[in-house]
Amino acid sequence: MSNFAIEARQLVKKFPARAGTGDKNGTPAPERKRRFFARKEPKTMFTAVNGVDLQIKRGEIFGLLGPNGAGKSTTIRMLCTLLEPTSGTAQVNGFDIVKQANDVRRSLGTVLAGERSIYWKLTGRENLEYFAALYHIPPAVTKKRVEELIERMEIKDRANELVEKYSTGMRQRIAIAKALLARPPILLLDEPTLGLDPQAARRVRELVAELKREGHTILLTTHYMEEADQLSDRIGIIDTGKVIALDTPEGLKRRIDQQEVIRLELTGWHEEIADKLKSIAGIEHITTRQQGEADLWEVSLHAQNSRAALPRIVEHISGNGTRLVNMNVVKPSLEDVFIHLTGKALRD
Amino acid sequence: METSLAPRSLGRPGFTSDLRAFWAVVRREWTIFTRYPSWIIALFIWPLIFPMLYILTARALAGPDGSGLAIFMEITGASDFIGYIVIGTTVWMWQNIVLWDIGFALRNEQMRGTLESNWLSPTWKFSYLLGPTGPQIVSMSMFILVTALEFGLMFGVRLNGSVWMILLMMLAAIPSIYGLGFAFASLVITVKEANAFVFLVRGLVMIFCGITFPISLLPGWMQSIASWLPQTYLIHGMRAAAFSKAGLPELLPDLIPLLLFGAFWLVVGYSAFLWMERRARRTGAIGQY
Repeated sequence: MSNFAIEARQLVKKFPARAGTGDKNGTPAPERKRRFFARKEPKTMFTAVNGVDLQIKRGEIFGLLGPNGAGKSTTIRMLCTLLEPTSGTAQVNGFDIVKQANDVRRSLGTVLAGERSIYWKLTGRENLEYFAALYHIPPAVTKKRVEELIERMEIKDRANELVEKYSTGMRQRIAIAKALLARPPILLLDEPTLGLDPQAARRVRELVAELKREGHTILLTTHYMEEADQLSDRIGIIDTGKVIALDTPEGLKRRIDQQEVIRLELTGWHEEIADKLKSIAGIEHITTRQQGEADLWEVSLHAQNSRAALPRIVEHISGNGTRLVNMNVVKPSLEDVFIHLTGKALRD
Repeated sequence: METSLAPRSLGRPGFTSDLRAFWAVVRREWTIFTRYPSWIIALFIWPLIFPMLYILTARALAGPDGSGLAIFMEITGASDFIGYIVIGTTVWMWQNIVLWDIGFALRNEQMRGTLESNWLSPTWKFSYLLGPTGPQIVSMSMFILVTALEFGLMFGVRLNGSVWMILLMMLAAIPSIYGLGFAFASLVITVKEANAFVFLVRGLVMIFCGITFPISLLPGWMQSIASWLPQTYLIHGMRAAAFSKAGLPELLPDLIPLLLFGAFWLVVGYSAFLWMERRARRTGAIGQY
């Protein structure tokens, strides 16, 4: 058996581009056969995943990070057999995702993003019993296993209520229980804490850590950097369909430890200031985020030498209706690594 | 190497496991169906509304003395014009409901967000389409039973022939009616919207299969088209069984084409499903709304 729970080599997925999408990665598809005596124009193809290589070790939590449209979900969908790659190969638990799709499905527990993967008109218990049958769990085992998971997910009191009456957090716990039903060695968790309140999200993160201790291999995608930092043994950063960095969270942070991050809080932000700040020598990246509804902005600048840059920064943001509220120099976080590598924030 | 720590899957593949999965789909579908109480209202109202349209039109056209109805019954050979109309409209409603229920079974799952989570399991995928067929047949049987009771009690419709022969005709029609539904379901997942196709098929049945008139009244070319529609044989056979006391030998000219069409549509339906499944893995159609 391979040392790797998941192994992907040069995975590529292309889709026909929709008209008017203005896809920059578009390449003409191979010319198609003549139909009804008319030569069809070759379609433009959109490349969602462009040569992804992954080797996920057994028993590790691997975080896959990337902005929207980077190719995370397409990669996950190929690994869980919902999509066939255009080219490249991948093995999950040693099984080929194309030729041995059913063996791959048996090896996986998948939680896809969103809370609608279970039936709202069935109870929590009925959902689990239903999916237990789909995953070919023998009836003698099903009852015990469902009971075990109901206990574990802390929904015993409400297991016989319709899912439509559950909170988002409870629905997510049922979705995770569904993925765990057949006790698969590998779990694919696509944004498992998305939309959850802080308490529910913390419970899910604890659960993910517990599952790792039980020996599950976990491939996790998330929008939350702290979550990836806290849970992942290794992280792959994916952008425009390619893995652009792969290391431990600490290793990734070390990549930019010669840099400093200057965080500013100010009011009256406008794009002209960004242009001025970019012109300062040694400033590499600027990201902005509005704090709530008010005109309060958090601006992060990656600088080679903050001491040299600070006086010029203050000079550029003075006046013109802009007011500096707070400023500090911090060590780079995983999010800063992400910005350094992709040039954009994860939420972009 | 940590392989020894890895959990061992509880799943046990095999034919009986697939059979249990299929039964789970049937039970799920039935449970969800019964949790929408509006079906009870539909069950009692719909069987009356659609045939009533034609029955009242027929009465109006028959003239004050009803002489038109006598001519109609002479042309059709039916002993009861209401029963004649009810059989035609019931077959039309059956096909129509199957197109909506079975034809949109996968699409409804897709819109609900549950199709992908079903598709991720290692079970035989056709179960997701075949499973809803069981509860649909049960609900449709209730619909037909209510139709018979309502028109028997309220309009005094009486059958001359054998109920068993009528049931035999309906049983023989199941493969073609549901096979068409399977093909539709795959089409709907592919094109996302198939209302126009449903309207086309039910329009064809309405015009060409003679739901309220004998197809002998149609021009030759229309009769040729009618002969390629299984519903034509079903309506003709059911009327013969209900009102002309036709037995098995007399029904064979309708039964045999019905069974042949059934085999054809089942093959088309299953092939369309396999094609859709392959295409969906290439295009990601299962997850697209």
